[in-house]
Amino acid sequence: MQRARELVQRLLFPTAHTVEMGDADITTSAWRLVEVGRVVLFQGGEYNGRIATIVEIIDHKRVLVDGPNKDAPVPRQSIPLAKVSLTPIVIPKLPRAAGRGFVAAQWEKNEVDKKWAEGTWSKKREAFQKRKQLNDFERFKVMKLRKQARFEVRKSLAKVRSAA
Amino acid sequence: MGRLQEYQIIGRHLPSEANPTPKLYRMRIFAPNEVVAKSRFWYFLGKLRKIKKANGEIVSVNQIFEKRPQKVKNFGIWIRYDSRSGTHNMYKEYREMSRTDAVDALYQDMAARHRSRFRQIHILKVIEVEKTADIRRPYIKQLLAKNLKFPLPHRINKTVNKGKIFSATRPSTFF
Amino acid sequence: MADQSSTKKFAKGERTIPHHSQKASKYYPAVDVAAPKKARKSIRPAKVRPSLTPGTVVILLAGRFRGKRVIVLKHLEQGVLLVTGPFKVNGVPLRRVNARYVIATSTKVDIAGVDDSVVKKASEAGYFTKDKASKKTGEDAFFKQGEAPEKKETSKDRVADQKAVDKALLATIKKEAHLVDYLSSTFSLRKSDRPHAMVF
Repeated sequence: MQRARELVQRLLFPTAHTVEMGDADITTSAWRLVEVGRVVLFQGGEYNGRIATIVEIIDHKRVLVDGPNKDAPVPRQSIPLAKVSLTPIVIPKLPRAAGRGFVAAQWEKNEVDKKWAEGTWSKKREAFQKRKQLNDFERFKVMKLRKQARFEVRKSLAKVRSAA
Repeated sequence: MGRLQEYQIIGRHLPSEANPTPKLYRMRIFAPNEVVAKSRFWYFLGKLRKIKKANGEIVSVNQIFEKRPQKVKNFGIWIRYDSRSGTHNMYKEYREMSRTDAVDALYQDMAARHRSRFRQIHILKVIEVEKTADIRRPYIKQLLAKNLKFPLPHRINKTVNKGKIFSATRPSTFF
Repeated sequence: MADQSSTKKFAKGERTIPHHSQKASKYYPAVDVAAPKKARKSIRPAKVRPSLTPGTVVILLAGRFRGKRVIVLKHLEQGVLLVTGPFKVNGVPLRRVNARYVIATSTKVDIAGVDDSVVKKASEAGYFTKDKASKKTGEDAFFKQGEAPEKKETSKDRVADQKAVDKALLATIKKEAHLVDYLSSTFSLRKSDRPHAMVF
């Protein structure tokens, strides 16, 4: 009787979760969100490589940003989201359309510059820029040293292999 | 600086013996430059009053600049639009940083949705909607939600693979 | 006396007749003689790039040694550079190259110790050209085509000059790590190398 009831239940509600079906872990996707306080990285253009925070969302394609960094400031401006990338850094609880002074204070308080500098993203970017700025002789030296390092690695690998 | 500027133009009928101090007329006109602005002034004045360029004069032309160009505002715009089949009045809302940007967006929007030209549109009134409750259009209302946040789920990187026809790898749309 | 005009009397008057040498020639050219155009231009002294100072390592872009990295010794006239490999490092001898067909790198080598007298001798006109054998043409040369050409002997003076120039250079080059390897390697573009975006 019990069994028959269960079968009827299944026929009526084929998608209903039952305990025996096994629990699937469903987590929300980890998208970075466009939100007030989100720190963005400028990709290309005059402010290439600088960071700023979203101060106000104009529409689904444009935001108002402000970057109160001391060395590489970004003046308050509207920018299409296509020209920036979202970073994982967020200034929490930044009110909409906050003034410049307040944004600068929050920027300082949340150590945005420090967080950015510590992240792998900025480090990789920096390394990439550095490699790009090498002159011909320096490029050659990099090539040489990489060869030497590779040789050492392979040598030790061969040793381990032959021993095994 | 955008494509359009806003001008304030004051003009009047030429003074005559009968009326040595004719009435002054003032208009706020959106135009790419002063020359077009003056021309539009005569166009509108000719429609409203019995004055034309030959019997009138322009008293002053000055450009109106946005008071707070770094603040995002919501604008309501009333227009008169001559479509292919008739004349319509419209009210539209835009979210921009200046009145001129809003009008520019309006012309682009009208051109996109109705294939309209500059000459087919008369801008009647441009106001800043200050209260959120006064926003009428849902497409602006949705942007004023509290704690608005959204992902960018499918992005196309324009710098990578630029100028390439074929690529060995599928593009990454997550960045 | 010879070309004096004479006076002749006629029935009604008299007339002076010029001497025949004074008379206009009966012949005149039907076509105007083309006058050569006077050139108003003058050869402007060529100005080499400021990056090409003596001692700069440059990449040759044309000719037999294209791709080689060599050292500039001196500016000669009309945008010509005097360079050396050094010969021992990459096989490029003392040689003149056009400054246009060269990439200047930012790497510099100190050429203070290089023998000035040899450089001066090499930069004189005719140093590179005087012992060039005239090319033989004709029957003799034609029949010699099949045979292996006789080996060209480098003149003793040139060898000595090369050694004198390179001696000091080699000493300084050896001081810096990887520089000898760098000079002996050739430059080429790989995939994804964009020369306009590269720093040299």
